[in-house]
Amino acid sequence: MNAYSLWVMEFAAVPDYPQSGLIYGMHNQGTRKLPYCYIVIKGQGQLAMVDVGYNHKAHGEVLANTYGVRGWHSPREVLGEIGITPEDIRTIFITHAHFDHMGNIEDFPNATFYLQERELSKWVWTMSLPRRFRWLMLGIDPADIMRAVDLARQGRLVAVDGDRENVLPGVDLHAAFDTHTWGSMYVTVRNDLGSDSESSWVFCGDLAYTQENLRGHDPKDPEYIPIGFAMGSQFNLIMKTEEMVKSVGGDVNHVVPPHEERLKDLFPSRITKLGLRITELALADGEKSQVV
Amino acid sequence: MVDEATAAYIVENQKCFEDLKQVASQLAGLLVLAAAGSKEAVPDHPMIVLARDLYREADDAVRRAWPTERARQHHEHIARAAASIGVALSETDGALNVDRILVPLRAGYTELERAADSLPGFEKVSYERACCGRRGLVQ
Repeated sequence: MNAYSLWVMEFAAVPDYPQSGLIYGMHNQGTRKLPYCYIVIKGQGQLAMVDVGYNHKAHGEVLANTYGVRGWHSPREVLGEIGITPEDIRTIFITHAHFDHMGNIEDFPNATFYLQERELSKWVWTMSLPRRFRWLMLGIDPADIMRAVDLARQGRLVAVDGDRENVLPGVDLHAAFDTHTWGSMYVTVRNDLGSDSESSWVFCGDLAYTQENLRGHDPKDPEYIPIGFAMGSQFNLIMKTEEMVKSVGGDVNHVVPPHEERLKDLFPSRITKLGLRITELALADGEKSQVV
Repeated sequence: MVDEATAAYIVENQKCFEDLKQVASQLAGLLVLAAAGSKEAVPDHPMIVLARDLYREADDAVRRAWPTERARQHHEHIARAAASIGVALSETDGALNVDRILVPLRAGYTELERAADSLPGFEKVSYERACCGRRGLVQ
């Protein structure tokens, strides 16, 4: 019995991303597809998302022409595949402030956005540093900051300070400070609404990119391997990975990295007419499958 | 492709573009904190002093620039950006009034975006080392 339907929606992809960026230590070991996805959470009278992708108008041409991102489609097209419009979305959890997770705020006019306060305040602190520290600002779009001002003025930006339970029924936010970014967070959905849920899912943002981050290279001898990019520390990433895996009872398949292409091998999926993948993680009671 | 004189203009003016972007980001960051009700957002925040210093350097550089014909449009945008961001900065003298600062700030940043679009060599966002952009591919 599921309280929520959960879908992973691809909106663009890099066909050949270096593995070394995804899995620490995999230097000179080729590339793999890196899909860009966001998550839809539907049920209990709620429509929510984890992250919103980026805006093609602002970023798309440079990314497509210079950095190999292909096949971007708007939230209207992507969400339309499961019968939802961007205007329907009321709650959005931003795992971290990089452009490909937060860069499309303006397409969701009716949503309230949740973001860790530390992600905001550390941005601001970083901006006060001399230019030689600019590496710390990578992936941040000043225009997103201005859009965040608008959200705050409209009362649609909730700056979360640490963990917060039941933001929606059975949906919790967990801080992962000084990991991928200063104020990253992950989202837990307890899909049976139980406090000690046996049906939990974790949406981890960029705390993990791939299955290997969660289980290593050898299934018989699992280990955690951090991602290739940490603003904070690899130690913090490893410890948060343990926390996430424990919160889903040790079933690493229930920790969902949105950039993992192989979700399609683990869960029912389909490719839309736009060439984008929809992966169906769970269906709420009475909800129709969107992939069969 | 750009001619040699324009290439020199680009190299000369990258820093002031980046500095204006930095000032805009600093102000926007403070506005987010103010609009979100953070107690850190105070009118005498040390970042305002930093932003003013950086702005002065950038504004001087914009005034000193000699654009080529190819770079003229870029220079017009960046000059308008500097003027608007200067207005936004001047509004930080008293209490942090988000509305009064945000309007010229956004106008200034829009001009920076237009400047970036009008000549190569000026990046709105540093994707080069961004975690989810493929590095090192230049077409």
